[in-house]
Amino acid sequence: MAAPSQAVHLLELDDRPDARRPWLASLWRHRDVLGILARADFHARYKRATFGVLWAVAVPVLQSLVLAVVFSRVIHVGDARRFGAYVLAGVLAWSYFSLTVTAASTSIVDASTLTDKVWFPRALLPTVPCLANLPGLLVSIVCLVVALPFLRADIGPRLLLLVPAVALLLAFTLVLGLALAALDVYFRDVKFLVQAGLLMWFYVTPVAYSKDLLGGLARFADFNPLTGVVTLFQMAAVGRQSHWQRPVLVSVIATLVVAVVALEIQRRHDRLFTDLL
Amino acid sequence: MSDAAIELQDVGKRYWKLDERAMLLRSLLPFARPQRTEFWALRDIDLEIGKGDVVGVIGRNGAGKTTLLRMLAGVTRPTTGRLRVRGRVAPLISVGVGFHREMSGRENVYVNGMLLGLSKREVDRRFDAIVEFSELEDFIDTPVKFYSSGMFMRLGFAAAVHTDPEVLLVDEVLAVGDVAFQVKCAERMKQIREAGTTIVLVSHNLHSVRVLCPRAVVLNRGRTEFDGPVEGAIARHHEILTEEAEAHHAVGEQHYLGGVDVEERELLGPDGPTHYVDANTPMRLRLKARFDRDVDSPLFAFTILATDGTIASRIITPLIPYRRFAPGQDVLVELKFTARLAGGTYRIAESITTSDGLGVLYSSPVPVTFEVGTRHGTYGIADLDSVVTLDGVALREERASGLGVP
Repeated sequence: MAAPSQAVHLLELDDRPDARRPWLASLWRHRDVLGILARADFHARYKRATFGVLWAVAVPVLQSLVLAVVFSRVIHVGDARRFGAYVLAGVLAWSYFSLTVTAASTSIVDASTLTDKVWFPRALLPTVPCLANLPGLLVSIVCLVVALPFLRADIGPRLLLLVPAVALLLAFTLVLGLALAALDVYFRDVKFLVQAGLLMWFYVTPVAYSKDLLGGLARFADFNPLTGVVTLFQMAAVGRQSHWQRPVLVSVIATLVVAVVALEIQRRHDRLFTDLL
Repeated sequence: MSDAAIELQDVGKRYWKLDERAMLLRSLLPFARPQRTEFWALRDIDLEIGKGDVVGVIGRNGAGKTTLLRMLAGVTRPTTGRLRVRGRVAPLISVGVGFHREMSGRENVYVNGMLLGLSKREVDRRFDAIVEFSELEDFIDTPVKFYSSGMFMRLGFAAAVHTDPEVLLVDEVLAVGDVAFQVKCAERMKQIREAGTTIVLVSHNLHSVRVLCPRAVVLNRGRTEFDGPVEGAIARHHEILTEEAEAHHAVGEQHYLGGVDVEERELLGPDGPTHYVDANTPMRLRLKARFDRDVDSPLFAFTILATDGTIASRIITPLIPYRRFAPGQDVLVELKFTARLAGGTYRIAESITTSDGLGVLYSSPVPVTFEVGTRHGTYGIADLDSVVTLDGVALREERASGLGVP
């Protein structure tokens, strides 16, 4: 909102949803609100804790440590330390994804006291945890890069892959959060379905094991939209993974499809959500 | 297209009352759809409010007032009709929207201001005024969880009234903090009004509606019952209350002995029938009663109740033999009293019983309601016509300056 006092504000409502273009424009106009809500969310989460945002790093690091140790015993891996780097890269992405999707899926319902007084596009609400969890993800990535040499993985130009990796992770997390948050308003079961779903999703995604271990089942893993996302992270950390093209393509397509559906649901139901809260 | 700030055409809003057990699975199965019943919160509303107008909206709980405000704020959209609001809208609907307990007062002012539609720079510009208004200079960097509820409300109100909107929506938040702060709020509301802001005020405090709004709309069961001068609106509102109570009474249980009909019941002020008086005004409740049976020295009892049911006063005629009434005989009964009552809504209920008080000959089917205007600086049930004098000089304000202290 560059100069709201000069802009002509006109609110016109009838029984139809907001038109596509003005609605998308209103998303952009409210970017300040998004920023301040994300900041507030971030502060609320970490301010009281003595170690603050470090917890956002400590949790995935501990998780990767446990998984790397356990899985390197259970399955045969050539190099335990290098396997550690592989697991760490995947878990960072997974950790951001699960934390954010959990928060985003209930975000509209959780903000009911806030949103029955003032209007801003409800699509901002599931976006808030995506931004609020971002510093944690970025700090963990820095830690990963620092740790790589100790995990027998060299540092090279392939680290640039982290850029598309993070972008794809953010995009997929965001659009899934948008869709789930809208569904949650109508079916409160979503909260529990998400919990159960994430639990299973973790094990069907090659985070703590290599996709090659799946043998013939690897083909099915490729159609999991998260496989492509974590594959990019793993490639950045430990190098090229076999058959990476198909899962990445699946992730991109899935993101686009979910994006269109989620934005459309959000637009159509924007000024109706409050009626059900 | 007119230049009205707010325009509503045939606006209706339907809510579905869903069965509690509405679940994902059942909604997906066509044969097990959860039960739902429709409910129209607003119906056929036509309303036009000009730029700079100040309009009150009154009505009982559930009349649709809040739905109307929510729609004007853009939070929900109508099921039928169209609505147009020109200008930046700020709701003063609930103070402290979006306050985070862990964050400081300063940070919360920013969150709040931006939620109400300001840019960061605009909050910057207003920040000092907001802090000064809230009187929280020393605590502005303290997390709001350490605030008392009074401090919290003060900050919220200060932030909300400094957004300088073109359309201000106000919902029952005018009574914030102590009396001194309320006076300040009233002053601020006056400034906002004088700045040409369009204001829609929803309130149960009929006094503040009367003081602030020349025009008022009465909503009843989602429909517009009245739209015009505020006095007329308040009178219509009281009529609705009375009608409602009568309808309710008809199905209620009553143990009449019967025998007395009251044909006319009227509340009179110095200038005739009224439902609204200032404190310390002489009043009369006039009843025309007709006896259908032979009654010796019946008792007349009147009870004046405050909104919360507290008995402000109860009056019973002396328990002495005085007169015998024959069937068919008419009598004019008047309760004369002075409304030494503090501002608020009051009800009068009356009954006529046999001289031993055991047989009820008549009991008012519904109380007569009336409103007493607030005398500035008074609070409670009774108005003792008190004045504070200093060295013999009275500190007295001639007229209430804006909002009433409820």
